[in-house]
Amino acid sequence: MSVKVAIHHKADNVGVAIEDIKRGEVVVGIYMSDMSPGPSVQALNDIPLGHKIALTDIKRGERVIKYGVPIGVATKDIKKGEHVHIHNIKSIRWSFGKS
Amino acid sequence: MMRHTFKGYIREDGRVGIRNHVVVIPVDDLSNTAALGVAKLIRGVVPLIHPYGRLQFGRDLDLLFHILAGTGSNPNVAAAVVIGIDDSWSNKLADMIARSGKPVEALSIEGSGDLATIERAARIAAKMVQEASEKQRTEVDISALVASIKCGESDTTSGLASNPALGVAVDALVEVGATILFGETSELTGAEDIVASRIPDLELREKFYRIYRSYVSVIESEGVEMLGSQPTEGNIKGGISTIEEKAMGNIQKLGTKPITCVLDYLDPLPPGKGRLCFVNTSSAAAEFITLAAAKGSVLHFFTTGQGNVVGHPIVPVIKITANPKTAASMREHIDVDISDLLKFKISLNEAGRRILEYAFRVMDGRLTAAEVLQHDEFSPTKLHISA
Repeated sequence: MSVKVAIHHKADNVGVAIEDIKRGEVVVGIYMSDMSPGPSVQALNDIPLGHKIALTDIKRGERVIKYGVPIGVATKDIKKGEHVHIHNIKSIRWSFGKS
Repeated sequence: MMRHTFKGYIREDGRVGIRNHVVVIPVDDLSNTAALGVAKLIRGVVPLIHPYGRLQFGRDLDLLFHILAGTGSNPNVAAAVVIGIDDSWSNKLADMIARSGKPVEALSIEGSGDLATIERAARIAAKMVQEASEKQRTEVDISALVASIKCGESDTTSGLASNPALGVAVDALVEVGATILFGETSELTGAEDIVASRIPDLELREKFYRIYRSYVSVIESEGVEMLGSQPTEGNIKGGISTIEEKAMGNIQKLGTKPITCVLDYLDPLPPGKGRLCFVNTSSAAAEFITLAAAKGSVLHFFTTGQGNVVGHPIVPVIKITANPKTAASMREHIDVDISDLLKFKISLNEAGRRILEYAFRVMDGRLTAAEVLQHDEFSPTKLHISA
């Protein structure tokens, strides 16, 4: 298990890979504010550096929380450990025809 | 324990600077040559070179005078020489600067030519520099500080690390009484409702919305679809999925305090302390810092991902990066390297503390990277065409 996921806020349901994460790898999140340990997750996909990983299951239609606020809504059911990006979330305000 | 004082220059109007410059201000583009002439002759004179002035009109002209006068009156300035092509505009600008109580002299080129004007201006500037050199720094309370914040050449490390770290520093500064200015009106898009919700005064909140909508409508009136192109392909490749996510990364640097003043282009910063203030500005680095300096900012915090090199003639700009590659490849531009954040070697609070510690050294007199590299960008915002 290695520490590879940064989490901004205790309420967040996604974290950010600070190194490339390989599918199947078990990684630990760290809360950036105080460096306290967060949840550990097994990656279900490759997650490139800077991309998001789901820290919990997120149901279709549920909000994706980062920085403690909604940054989008899930367009499909997302499993804990899955890559979270434009293929499974979209803006709440603007849609770009990508979902 | 955070320091609550710094060593600054208390000016005639009671405001406090951290630099002690003598400036020569051309009122118009035609007077740049004379201003540069004075700066070549006299050590310690800073020329504020810009391409504007002639045949500007309306609010655009008012804004130019607001910026020139605000910069000349900035507490980082000890004294100012104004040079214009004609008397009336030189005197108008000098009178505006004189309200700060600073020594200021106006000259005009018409009727005497560049060389005689340069000689007269140089003799005045020489005296001003010698007199300024005797000004002493005094220990003052941090509540006298007016600083500004902006990010540029942002990447994944900005929203992830350097902006939140700056937000920690901003919260700490506002708590002990400092005033922090932010802006980048168009780049708030996606988080404008969150910014608005942090303005407790409903009238000011409405004013913010008015300013924001008007800014976006100007961009869109040129046929640019600002919102549909966000986030950019580069952002998406870097892992940013939505415009809200991008904007939230940007506004992390605002910290968490309420926003208690909202300033449009021509609004002066009212006296006060312990404030986070929105200023209507372009998101372009040099334009932002130039306008913030005109409002009275004496220090600028600049977070960068891929490495922006901007500076200002009279305001020290502190460059902060959490990108280890930028910290290494552009090291002469970087003042505070907090890339340890992304190795989980330090917390956000520790990174915020490092930014503050460095900022106090700069307030006390340490020169920033942009200052020693002579990054003297002075970019007044222009609102529309000239006549």
